[in-house]
Amino acid sequence: MKTFDLMRLCLDNLSRRKGRTILTVIGVVVGTCFIVLMISLGVAMDISQQQMLESMGDLSTIRVYNYSNTDAVPKLNDEMIAKIKAIPHVTVSSPVYQPQNLQAMLVGGKKDRYQMYLGGWGITAMYPEALDAMGLTLQSGEFLTAEEKNAKTIKVMFGQNAAYQFSDSRSKRNNYRDPYPDQYGNILDPFLDVYKDKIQLKTQKNGDNDKQLVYDLEITGVFVEDWAKADFTGYGVFMDISTAKRLESEYMKAAGIKQTETEKNKGYTQAYVKVDSIDKVTEVEQQIKDLGYETSSMESWRESMQESAKTVQIILGTIGAVALLVAAINIINTMTMAIYERTKEIGVMKVLGCELGQIRKMFLIEAGVIGFIGGFLGVGFSYFTSWLINAFGPMLMGSSEGGMLGSVMGGLGQGGTISVIPPWLAILGLTFATLVGVLSGIMPANRAMRISALEAIRQQ
Amino acid sequence: MPPIIRVENLKKIYRIGNEKVKALNGINLEIERGEFVCIVGASGSGKSTLLNQLAGLEKPSKGNVYIGKSNISQMTEKQLALFRQKYLGFIFQSYNLLPALTAAENVALPLMFKGINKKTRLAAAKVQLEKIGLGERLGHKPTEMSGGQQQRVGIARAFVAKPKVIFADEPTGNLDSKTTDQVLQMMMQLAREENITFVMVTHERDLAAYADRIITIKDGQVLSDVKTQNHPTAQREQDNTIHTEEKKEQ
Ligand SMILES: Nc1ncnc2c1ncn2[C@@H]1O[C@H](COP(=O)(O)OP(=O)(O)OP(=O)(O)O)[C@@H](O)[C@H]1O
Ligand SMILES: [Mg+2]
Repeated sequence: MKTFDLMRLCLDNLSRRKGRTILTVIGVVVGTCFIVLMISLGVAMDISQQQMLESMGDLSTIRVYNYSNTDAVPKLNDEMIAKIKAIPHVTVSSPVYQPQNLQAMLVGGKKDRYQMYLGGWGITAMYPEALDAMGLTLQSGEFLTAEEKNAKTIKVMFGQNAAYQFSDSRSKRNNYRDPYPDQYGNILDPFLDVYKDKIQLKTQKNGDNDKQLVYDLEITGVFVEDWAKADFTGYGVFMDISTAKRLESEYMKAAGIKQTETEKNKGYTQAYVKVDSIDKVTEVEQQIKDLGYETSSMESWRESMQESAKTVQIILGTIGAVALLVAAINIINTMTMAIYERTKEIGVMKVLGCELGQIRKMFLIEAGVIGFIGGFLGVGFSYFTSWLINAFGPMLMGSSEGGMLGSVMGGLGQGGTISVIPPWLAILGLTFATLVGVLSGIMPANRAMRISALEAIRQQ
Repeated sequence: MPPIIRVENLKKIYRIGNEKVKALNGINLEIERGEFVCIVGASGSGKSTLLNQLAGLEKPSKGNVYIGKSNISQMTEKQLALFRQKYLGFIFQSYNLLPALTAAENVALPLMFKGINKKTRLAAAKVQLEKIGLGERLGHKPTEMSGGQQQRVGIARAFVAKPKVIFADEPTGNLDSKTTDQVLQMMMQLAREENITFVMVTHERDLAAYADRIITIKDGQVLSDVKTQNHPTAQREQDNTIHTEEKKEQ
């Protein structure tokens, strides 16, 4: 028998018993709906967790720290940074250096009227080639490139609001401008325009005999503030690591500050490492830990959150699976009834030369079709219900986060969507329902195959 | 020519509790190609049982049934299904048409099992139905037809795939005498035309007058085996068609 004929026969049989077919299909629809919706809640939870973590920090970065002074831990120097860079999946590896010995300020305006003190944390220096890969965005200008040595002009970049740190040394009141609206609702510009006004870096004179070093600043660009990725994008001043080191040593020479050999060769205390995919963070982080350094990343956080999300997903999925199990029993029942009803017909078909495998296939296909139709409608209905939940769910839950759903979601669905059905979930639902149908059909199908033709045609 | 059906010492014993019923008790038979055979006998003599063994619908307790060169008593269910599909046709007492299908679709059923495409098999069904005078009823469902018409559809279904042998268990058992006559003649004529071997169980002895050969069963054994004057070997010198023509006019 041709597959096409078999299919048509199956569909004929199903439509002949419309009422029962529809009821069975409804069972599958409900089961599929349950499973898909339950998983969709878990998916939405996952997504909102991901978003939350992303807002807290870049998930694919690892911070490396070395505050130890023992020889047991190797120095975190440029060589070591290069070694970390060579670890598979590492895309960026750069020291994070803050020249804490440098005492200086930025000045501009007539007679250095506007001033910004650079404390130990004001300047952050890294390899300039790291900037692009860190995923930082520019508000204006362009990224810094490597600094030419010994130039009296130094290139820097400003955080979005760094220029607001200039204060007016003449004014007693209102000597600061704020990056947020004042009482009239206006946001005022900083005192200086970083591109047009001349800004200089002047080192501090500790004694009268100290020589003051003066450098012209060239601001190549301004970052968009993004605390999750790098804190210097807010109020910081960024420069090339070699520039920072040069300024620091020139200043120390001028100020007569001596450094011991061990202090000079101490190495960096911090490094920034970025990995090409979130999944590889744990692996790379462990390798860096093995070198002896302390590390931190969002990964450990993420893992524990994911763990709890998975538990919730499994619980929800199990509820759905039970619903689908009921649907499966329903299908088995329907197909078994169909066999009793069609015993004579099956007998006649056998006597007329229908092969046994075909009879088996016929029942399997019928059960599979019930599963498929149920799954298809179930997925469609799930999309609709998902939309309803997202549209009206938050209203029902209320702002107090009350209700069971609210407590299950733990507030993570807040603001975002409660239920998300990605394409893979729709396909999964459909496949699963069809599979359940076919599997439920196996027992009845084998039974139909074994019916004795003679007894069947004798039946009235 | 070798016989198309050969039965060797066939026995069928049914066990009901501790009691044994010897439905068939050592039957030996040979049926020639193209014979129209009637099996007669009292109720409970074992006619249906014999036919079922011949058609491979039931396994004998002892003995063998050969159709052509194949020993169907040794075949598996699977092989039997395929064998029936290729070589055998059936006509049932209670017609056994599939109620959801039209007359044409019912007739085309054996061809569908053979994997013949829809257009071809429905065309063949139409030809077959026209032959037995049901050309007008192609699209009718079984419930919309009389018993006689349904049995004619059943006959068309048995013949459509041009089997080697057709088995029929009391095909006229549910019909009135006039329709019985029609149906019997129709089956005979078609069997002759296509040179199909026809084995039929029947109750009433006078119906057996149509047959080439009458086998009488009693208590599971062959009581008598008579070749009638209709038998091809008995009238080799006569014109077969003229003879059947005469019969119809009686
Ligand atoms: N499945 C069965 N189980 C037990 N006994 C059976 C079975 N089938 C037939 N018999 C017995 O075998 C014997 C022969 O039965 P069978 O049906 O062949 O008779 P029959 O000649 O066809 O009779 P009828 O003319 O009434 O149809 C009977 O005694 C019957 O009771
Ligand atoms: Mg009988």
